[in-house]
Amino acid sequence: MKNNIKVQRAIYNLTQQELAEKTGVSRQTINALEAGKYVPSTVLALKLSKLFEKPVNEIFELEKED
Amino acid sequence: MKTNFLFPYKLKMLSGILFSISFILLALLYSVSEYSDFEIKAKVFAILGDTGLLGDNESFFWLETSVTDELLMLFVIPFGIIFAFSKEKHEDEMVAAMRLNSLAWATIINYVIILLGYLFVYGIVFLNVLMVAMISQLLIFIVLFRYRIYRFYKTAAHEE
Repeated sequence: MKNNIKVQRAIYNLTQQELAEKTGVSRQTINALEAGKYVPSTVLALKLSKLFEKPVNEIFELEKED
Repeated sequence: MKTNFLFPYKLKMLSGILFSISFILLALLYSVSEYSDFEIKAKVFAILGDTGLLGDNESFFWLETSVTDELLMLFVIPFGIIFAFSKEKHEDEMVAAMRLNSLAWATIINYVIILLGYLFVYGIVFLNVLMVAMISQLLIFIVLFRYRIYRFYKTAAHEE
């Protein structure tokens, strides 16, 4: 699964740490998310969607192998 | 989000220290030949036991024996469990995912070791395999999980 969290974060001018605090996860988790190493739970995906004011589909995208 | 039950983070340090010390002492106790030097004799209640290697099995009786290893086990298992299943400093869903993954791998590795022990160790020395099997899964899980957490924090140490 692909995501553009890094882009969204840049739009809102947030650091990984700030985004982590706003979503209640560790900065390392945000880092792993952006690197595509971790697929978030629905709860975290919806929190990000709410924070970035965009539907989940615009942040996350399925890939062929998913 | 509500996560599964875990012991509080503040117990982690203390339980880790107590687990390490008692585990090392237990390993030393089993490896020394002068086992009798460390005996603590006490009367204990047995649900099941025998009166000697060739004696008949008895149930619900009192006997006098050394309780050094029993006392150490009373530290190793409870503090091992608390250390292994207490919250991390930054507990979140990814830590929970790594915990589950480590637990699965620890179970697989543990049973591979037990199976190999079962197939290739015979005689009285097989008792050692059974002794190791009592805490090996917990130990393998702790090592795997700590290593993964260590790498998790290390690789993401610098923000891009």
